Amino acid sequence: MFAYVTRRVLIAVPMLLVAMYLVHVGVSATVDPRSEFYVCLPRCQEGFDRITEQYNLDTNIFLRPFGYFSELARGNLGDSSSIGEPVWDTLKTRGWNTAMIAIPAFLIGAILSLLLSVYSARRQYSIGDYTFTGLSFIGFAMPSFVMALLLQHIFAVKLEQLFGIKPFNTGRKTGENFLQLARDVTLPAVSLAILGIAADSRFGRASMLETLNQDYIRTARAKGLKEGKVVWKHALRNALIPLVTLWALGFSALLGGSVVTESIFSWPGIGQVFLRALGDADLDLLMAIVMFGGVLTVTFNLIADVLYGVLDPRIRLG
Amino acid sequence: MADTQIPPVLDEDVVAPQPGGATTAEVEGLSDKPKSFGRLAWERFLGHRMALVGAAGLLLLIALFWIGPYFSEFSFDERNVRDRKLGPSTEHWFGTDEIGRDLFVRTAQGGRYSLQIGALAALIATGAGTLLGALAGYFGKTVDALVSQLINLTLIVPAIIVLSVFANKWGADALGLALVLAALLWTRIARVVRGVILQIKEQEYIMAARAAGATHKRILARHLLPNVVGAIAVEITLLIGSVIVLESTLSFLGLGVKPPNASLGTLVAQAKGDIDSDPIRVLTPGIFIVLIVLCVNFLGDGLRDALDPRAKVDDGGAGKAAKKAAKAARKDAKKMKSSGTVVVGA
Repeated sequence: MFAYVTRRVLIAVPMLLVAMYLVHVGVSATVDPRSEFYVCLPRCQEGFDRITEQYNLDTNIFLRPFGYFSELARGNLGDSSSIGEPVWDTLKTRGWNTAMIAIPAFLIGAILSLLLSVYSARRQYSIGDYTFTGLSFIGFAMPSFVMALLLQHIFAVKLEQLFGIKPFNTGRKTGENFLQLARDVTLPAVSLAILGIAADSRFGRASMLETLNQDYIRTARAKGLKEGKVVWKHALRNALIPLVTLWALGFSALLGGSVVTESIFSWPGIGQVFLRALGDADLDLLMAIVMFGGVLTVTFNLIADVLYGVLDPRIRLG
Repeated sequence: MADTQIPPVLDEDVVAPQPGGATTAEVEGLSDKPKSFGRLAWERFLGHRMALVGAAGLLLLIALFWIGPYFSEFSFDERNVRDRKLGPSTEHWFGTDEIGRDLFVRTAQGGRYSLQIGALAALIATGAGTLLGALAGYFGKTVDALVSQLINLTLIVPAIIVLSVFANKWGADALGLALVLAALLWTRIARVVRGVILQIKEQEYIMAARAAGATHKRILARHLLPNVVGAIAVEITLLIGSVIVLESTLSFLGLGVKPPNASLGTLVAQAKGDIDSDPIRVLTPGIFIVLIVLCVNFLGDGLRDALDPRAKVDDGGAGKAAKKAAKAARKDAKKMKSSGTVVVGA
């Protein structure tokens, strides 16, 4: 097991470094923090030079990442020009806010997709199975912003108009106590979760169906095990293996901040601040967010690989 | 009678052979004229209800987007400030927006733009993916390692964030946006093509072609790539679906399509401020996105089932693609004979 994990880490780390290098070059090439200065140039030479100095814009674009990495190694992510505080602080508070909707979204998504895939596989071709298949097709096809806008409209506005109750807030982190916070979190978390459920439950259904048709399941039934035990213990453990990867990747994407959902629900998370950084050409903040996303993806890929090895010894030893 | 082979679909004596099923004559090998792969695929496709729904729906949508505006008396950017924010009526079928432009015409234009970008990006991604995947699968070793690492690198990058950064810079025109989207979406098809090529490049007919002195280019183009046509067709269709979702998302965020152009995403973005008083304006473009992607996905699933290479074997018909490859192989063999030399291990 140790050798397996070491091998995965040794592959992942150089990969991450190369990806970070390329992303740095890519972002530097596309985002120009000096764009506002070109029109006024000889007059505002001072500000122009200051920004050039700040981001080392006069060094070669392919060498700039090295300067950034050496600062990064010293724990210096730079200062955010649009927010006016160290990038690290922004990342911390925003990251925490994003986690507040990402973790519930992940839990809701994982639990529901698990239940749905077991249900659809056990009752294949039943009305329920067809209904969920149809819904998941629609969920697949629906862009996240349409989903979020609809949920927001129906649950936060229409319900109040029609029945005078407002079970959830339209977003915006307002809550002081837990109940308030739960009302804030529910809608963004659910609209994030639904998108994952559509894909994961299809995948889980196929995986569960395959497992349920295997010989060892028939053996388990033949020896008189209760159906519940056959499904939830013998079948589920194997059917889960492919789902774990999906979940790990989905979770890393959620933690990296969802640009669309956060901006619709005015949630002060990473996705929202990312849009602001992009609009203001706030290079340091932008870079930090992209790097953060990359680190998350690689880390969770690694976690998925390790879990895979734990759940399926054939992979670890093969 | 070997009726055990007849699928349960055939409840009565059916004269015409069913798609996907085999008549008794074919089962016993008495069928004198085997159907071509293309014909079998076509029949399977016709038997796939969802695929037909998808294809019909897509054609309808294309007709609506391209021909529909001719039946409207309004033009795409004609403002009429007196008729602002109207609901659907016989005059303005989808209502009007906040500066009085007819939303039917705008939706049609947005749909056209979205579909065009979707198709363009899918084509670019498929072209690049097929080329890189084929090279990686065929040459192996360094090329394969390079392409595989490139795929892994592309997959690491947080998609929507990097897309936003690039789309913000280059997304204003269709080609730029399509290129940006394709740069992130080529990986799937590259992996599919690489897998297929890795599988079949060890077969004897490839070795024969090599022995005959066929160049790498010829082997790739004539002997290997025809085998991935089916997989590519499926991937293109499914890619168009994901591209349209991504494009509309970027445009919704204001990073993709810029005014005066409209895509379905920008239409939703323009209407979202008024969603509480006027949800219809958000719903119409939203529903069209869902409809397009649904149809495209159904079509892709149908194509996948129709072009499934395993079904090809079951039905006993020689695949059109495989036939083409076999023909090319014969030609190479002829060349080998005429040149009189046998190249060993070319």
